[in-house]
Amino acid sequence: MLVTFAVTVVIVGCLFSYRVYAILPSRGRNRNLTKRSPDSTCSLAVFLGSGGHTSEALAMLSGINAQRYKPRQYFVSEGDSLSVKKVQVLERSFEDGSPNSPAYRVVTIPRARRVHQPLWTTPLTAMVSLCSCIYYMTIEPLANHNSGEKKFPDVLVLNGPGTCLMLCIAAYFNKFFGLPAPTIIYVESFARVKALSLSGKLIRPLVDRFIVQWPELVRRHPGSECYGTVV
Amino acid sequence: MRAFVTVGSTKFDALIQKVFSQEVLEALQKQGYTEVIVQCGNSSFEEQRGAADGEHPVIVQRGGLVVEYWKFKPTLEEEYERADLVISHAGSGTILDVLRMGKPLIVVPNPTLLHNHQQELADVLAEQNYIKSSSVDDLSTTIEEFGGSTLLNRFPRFDGTRFAKILDETMGFA
Repeated sequence: MLVTFAVTVVIVGCLFSYRVYAILPSRGRNRNLTKRSPDSTCSLAVFLGSGGHTSEALAMLSGINAQRYKPRQYFVSEGDSLSVKKVQVLERSFEDGSPNSPAYRVVTIPRARRVHQPLWTTPLTAMVSLCSCIYYMTIEPLANHNSGEKKFPDVLVLNGPGTCLMLCIAAYFNKFFGLPAPTIIYVESFARVKALSLSGKLIRPLVDRFIVQWPELVRRHPGSECYGTVV
Repeated sequence: MRAFVTVGSTKFDALIQKVFSQEVLEALQKQGYTEVIVQCGNSSFEEQRGAADGEHPVIVQRGGLVVEYWKFKPTLEEEYERADLVISHAGSGTILDVLRMGKPLIVVPNPTLLHNHQQELADVLAEQNYIKSSSVDDLSTTIEEFGGSTLLNRFPRFDGTRFAKILDETMGFA
C-alpha cells in the first residue's frame, strides 16, 4: 500500500516536473515567433504595481499601437486608486473619437504581500492573490470562451513588484493545462543598474522576454536584453 | 534664481537639515539664488513645525534668501519647471522627470536606505555626466562647484517607440 503510494507520488512528481520543464520558455535564437498580419489585434494585460512601477509601465504602454493591442486589461492591487486614475489619463490619449465601448478594463487583485507584512504570513496572502489571478487569467476567459468576449490575453506585461509573480504563475496554470496562455514580457526598473530586483530574480526563468534598462545587467544575466531606457 | 529641493514621498532628515544649514544657504546665495523651495515630505528637521501641504507653505527669511517649505503637492512638475536648479533624493522617477525637463540636477542618495540601489543609479548617471551626485556632507561644495551650470549632458528624450518595437517583435508584427 505504502509502496504503491510512494511510486504514485514519484510518477506524478516526475510528470509534473516534465510538464513544467516542457512549458518553460526557450529564449534567444530558438524563440518561436508566430507571424501576425499587420491588421490583426492582440489582447494585452499589464500589471501596475503602484508608485514607480505604475509610472514605468504606463510610460512603456504610451507608445504602443492602441488599435492593435486591444482589448487591454489593467491589473492593479487593492487600494491603489492612483494607478486607476493614471490608467484613465492614458486611455484618454488612446481615444480616437469613435463611439465604441471602452477597449479596456481595470481589474483589482489582492496584494501578494503588503508593505511591512511579516514574512510568515506571506504564503497565505500570496495564495489568496494567486487564486484571484487564476480567476481572471483562466476561469473567467474559459467561462466566456464561446461567447467571444473577454478572451485570454495574448501578451502579459510585467515590471514588478511581488504581486506580478502571481499573474505569471497564473499564466503558467494555463500553459500547464494546454489552455491559451499569454506571452510574458518582464521589464526591470530603470532604477536597477547593477543588480536585479527580487521579483526580477524570481521571474527571470519564467518569462519569454526579460528586458533590462542598463547594459551591465545583460553582462551579469545572460538571456536578458537591453535596448536602453524604455520608460 | 530659484532652487527646488525634493525628497519625494520618502523622508530624508539629513538632506533637509543640511539644506537649512548656514553653509548650504550661503553657497546657494553665492551662486545667485534668491529663493529656495523645499518639498520636505515626512522628514524631521528643526523647522518642521507648521509644515503642511503645498497649498499652505511656510515662508521664512534666512540670510538673504527666501525659504519656502511644505510637505507634499499632487504634482511637482510645475516646481521643476520654475526651478533653475533641482536638488533631489535618488528616486528614479524624480530623476527621470527632472532630467527630461533639461533642468540641472544634484542628486543626493540616502545612505540610510538598506539595499542601496539608489546609489548605483546616481553613480552611473553621474559617470555619464547627466547629473551631479553628492553626499549630504559635500552638498555645499557641490553647489559651489556646480552652480547650476549647463555643462551636463542633455538626457535623451522619452522614446515611446522602443517598447512598442519590443512588443511588436514579440507578438510577430515586426
